[in-house]
Amino acid sequence: MLLEYIAIGVLLFLATAVAAIAIFLGELFGPKRKSDKKAQPYESGMLPIGPGTRRMPVRFYLIAVLFILFDIEIVFFLPWAVVFRQLGLFGLIEMIIFIGILLVGYIYAWKKGALEWE
Amino acid sequence: MTTAAPHDVPHTVQAGTPDLAARFPGLVAPDERSGYSGWIVTADHLVQVATALRDEFGYDLLSSVTGVDYLPEGKMEVVYHAFKTTGGPGICFKVQTGRDDPQVPSLVSVYPGAELQEREAWDLLGIKFTGHPDLRRILMWEGFNGHPLRKDWQEPYYEDEAKPFKSRSPEGHVYRFEDRNPFGDNVRYPEDFDPEKWTPENPEDLLYKSLKTYQAESPDGIETDHIVVNMGPQHPSTHGVFRFVVALDGEKIVNLKPVMGYLHRNHEKIGERNTYLMNMPYTDRLDYLSPMSNNFAYALTVEKLMGITPPERAEYIRVIMAELTRIANHCMCIGSLLNDLGAFFTPMIYLLEERDLILDVFEATAGSRMMVNYFRFGGVARDIPEDALEKIKGLAFERLPRILDEMDRLMSENEILRARGIGQGVLTAEDAIRYSATGPLLRGSGVPYDIRRADPYSIYDRFEFDIPVGKNGDIYDRYIIRLEEMRQSVRIIQQALKQMPEGPVMVGKPQYQFRPPVGESYGRVEGPKGELGFYIVSNGKPTPWRYHVRAPSFINLTAFGPMCVGQKVADTVAILGSIDIVLGEVDR
Amino acid sequence: MDAALIWEWVIKALFLIFFLLGGFAYLTWYERKALARIQVRYGPNRAGPYGLLQPIADAVKLIFKEELTPSMADKVIFILAPIVTVVPVMLMAATVPWGPPIQLFGRTINMSVADLNVGVLYITSIASIAVYGIVLAGWSSNNKYAILGGLRASAQMVSYELALGLAFVLPILLAGSMRLMDIVTKQAEMGWFVLIQPVGALIFLIATLAEIGRAPFDMPDAEQELSSSYHSEYSGMKFALFFMAEYEKMIVICAIAATLFFGGFLGPGVDKWPWLGPIYLLAKIIVLLFLMIWVRATFPRIRYDRLMALGWKVLLPTALGLVFVTALGILLAEAVNPAMLWIIPLLSLVAGVLAVGVIERALRRKEYARR
Repeated sequence: MLLEYIAIGVLLFLATAVAAIAIFLGELFGPKRKSDKKAQPYESGMLPIGPGTRRMPVRFYLIAVLFILFDIEIVFFLPWAVVFRQLGLFGLIEMIIFIGILLVGYIYAWKKGALEWE
Repeated sequence: MTTAAPHDVPHTVQAGTPDLAARFPGLVAPDERSGYSGWIVTADHLVQVATALRDEFGYDLLSSVTGVDYLPEGKMEVVYHAFKTTGGPGICFKVQTGRDDPQVPSLVSVYPGAELQEREAWDLLGIKFTGHPDLRRILMWEGFNGHPLRKDWQEPYYEDEAKPFKSRSPEGHVYRFEDRNPFGDNVRYPEDFDPEKWTPENPEDLLYKSLKTYQAESPDGIETDHIVVNMGPQHPSTHGVFRFVVALDGEKIVNLKPVMGYLHRNHEKIGERNTYLMNMPYTDRLDYLSPMSNNFAYALTVEKLMGITPPERAEYIRVIMAELTRIANHCMCIGSLLNDLGAFFTPMIYLLEERDLILDVFEATAGSRMMVNYFRFGGVARDIPEDALEKIKGLAFERLPRILDEMDRLMSENEILRARGIGQGVLTAEDAIRYSATGPLLRGSGVPYDIRRADPYSIYDRFEFDIPVGKNGDIYDRYIIRLEEMRQSVRIIQQALKQMPEGPVMVGKPQYQFRPPVGESYGRVEGPKGELGFYIVSNGKPTPWRYHVRAPSFINLTAFGPMCVGQKVADTVAILGSIDIVLGEVDR
Repeated sequence: MDAALIWEWVIKALFLIFFLLGGFAYLTWYERKALARIQVRYGPNRAGPYGLLQPIADAVKLIFKEELTPSMADKVIFILAPIVTVVPVMLMAATVPWGPPIQLFGRTINMSVADLNVGVLYITSIASIAVYGIVLAGWSSNNKYAILGGLRASAQMVSYELALGLAFVLPILLAGSMRLMDIVTKQAEMGWFVLIQPVGALIFLIATLAEIGRAPFDMPDAEQELSSSYHSEYSGMKFALFFMAEYEKMIVICAIAATLFFGGFLGPGVDKWPWLGPIYLLAKIIVLLFLMIWVRATFPRIRYDRLMALGWKVLLPTALGLVFVTALGILLAEAVNPAMLWIIPLLSLVAGVLAVGVIERALRRKEYARR
């Protein structure tokens, strides 16, 4: 079984090689005429004001936190779905309880406006 | 032919306009120069008079602000044209000031729509508007030396005061000055200026400083980081080389300043060098998407100055061409608006097909698809050929009504278009008037102001058509109005085709170089983008003394900043698309 | 484990990679042609017959383009980002079975690079890695558009990953296995899962559109707003890698969608002639790809806040509801009568209609409030 993962390892190696070769080809054949103007970050043709990387709206972090919460929930779903037929009604009720708890959090987040992107 | 009879009628108060001299004795005097009309207001009382005009007499729309440099008299004059949004003729008032340090009080507090126009007058003529909130150059760059529209300002390769230049005429030599002076030593610099030693201050600083003048609200008292981002001039969706600078709080806009002039070629200065007829093809280059309208407005203005009227058939041809232009322009506008909303070119290309059919008609009639140069003073250049007339009939009676309905079905009810259009970029009716918005932008906000109806020119009083009006003044309303306006244009074309008489298309012989009588004239048409006006001052020479374009795209941009504040960055592009600008006209 | 096995892996991996590379090239051609036909124009028709050589011309052009690196950029991450974006896409395709196992040279050869028993889990986890590439590209470019675009893209991707993940649960529930091969064979007996779970398939397709940043969810590269956002600063082959990642992702996602919901390589006559399997799968992929192109030609772009709202407030709860509907249906089918399985599509259609109704009402109310 684990052999299959070696196959994926082979694929990983080859895929990375292809990507690296592509970049290398570009470096090899592309012209190299560097200038300060070309190296400027693009801001619609104007000199950028202030640094490019700076503090970002906190919403992005909020989304990240919520994502982790629900993604874990979904990861639990997958094995549950595989063995669901064996678990039967018990599995369903169990999952309803599990989701019920998470759903409370979801509704709380919704009501708190964490899902609004305004 | 020399000139038409000069209209040296004594100054009378035009019917339907108030007698300002009676209202403000001593402060306002009628303009009694021959060929001129309107009122001359003393500079100190300008704001008072303007406030009264707006509040007492109902002239709520300040349409045009421009300056004239009367070099021989040693005077500068600022000319204002105000209109009532309820219709009727407008009023013209002027302020005179000395040439050396011209200062005029700013009217931005009364008419916010004067903001960009006063900046333009400062930039090009050097008239200082005291009390202007943000008096910076607008078309030229901050480091520019001098004010180009002043009559004593001469461009680097200056040759002569007026065309045709002696070096090229009559033999017709054509060359570029750059070829003659490969090292550019014909460029003149000011006395105390050495380009080798000059280190520029960053001209952008002024702009960014003026951008910072917003009131940031922070309800929870936490300071938030505001990003200043440039959109344009090299940006895929600013419809050309338009640029705006936004201050962002997250993705919300807290302030926005438009920056223009990247396509500036000093149309007006060149226009003042040209003879009257030479300017006709040059107006095509203003709003190159609706050249017929530009021709129309210019022809009207000069005809007003000369006191001639075109023959009947020419009037009908003009109306048909202007309305076809409106359809072509709105096709382009709606198409690119939808494109800005992310509809990947499909509606755009469908609509471009219709535009191309209209351009076919232009090509058959005028000889050119875009730079038509079709109108003449007192008529049009040539009659519509028979097959082009058939094409127009096919378009107006059969194809366009069908296609417009089809487009309506295709786009108007699209859920995403509605979601992105409704309630976004709202401009209230009051604001639209205050910011001197005209055209679909004004009507989208619910003001039924259409010059074809409010102050009919040409033969528009003979046609039946409706003026579509929006309700909320949002992007969606502007879109719907444009669609509806195309339908109304089709109606007008249908009526015009039915009524069009036979006959000549030009009054008298074609005239190439003529001298209109001394005087001024302001002519305007309802262009596809808004009120397109020309203000022309003649001093009896073959070239205009002052040639000013009241460009709707340019003035409608006054409302762009206020419309965008509080919106998302993504919406600015759609809002800009819904204003419908063409950079050839904005920057002139 | 012998040398032949290693050769099998290498050959299959190379085959897959070259299929994806060729697929990417001709998908660009296919998209341009299809868009052009929808928009009453010709599309590429200069390079070769029907413009068939256009992708090759494009590739050659990109190789000879100058590679620019912005002065303040983080060089290592800047080069790494396109690789990190494109490699997971190729890995994702590893588990898709292209046909029933075949006998060749006396060996039984699976028609997939690796038929993992946790195939679906593997796909979801690999798909998440692609987000890194985009964030890193945005971050390392030192460009305001890029970082904003990168963050927006990643927020969008993770938001829709939830709905996507839940949509993955549905075929697993029905098949009782995470192995893609099992899911396909199960569909041979139960019928395509799209019939049993049509709303689930729809959610899957919508979520994938958002996940790979295709119209109408093409926020990450909203050209009109942010001028291509996270890959603004990339040029030449590095840009091509991002482009490649996007199009290969389309192919791979369509392959996965076809496998999970549309019967994979199944079709009439596959049992007898196994070589028909890849052809059927390819045909299904092409049809699904056409759907994506069609959507692009038809819809304007959804605004970002609406897009997030759709993901979090509509697709996530609906998908959650569908999971329970499916579970319930399976239970009833086992306990009462196999025909009870058909309660699933009925109930899920009800759930779908309910969700659409809720959006409709919310939209109308918002519109109303503004008027």
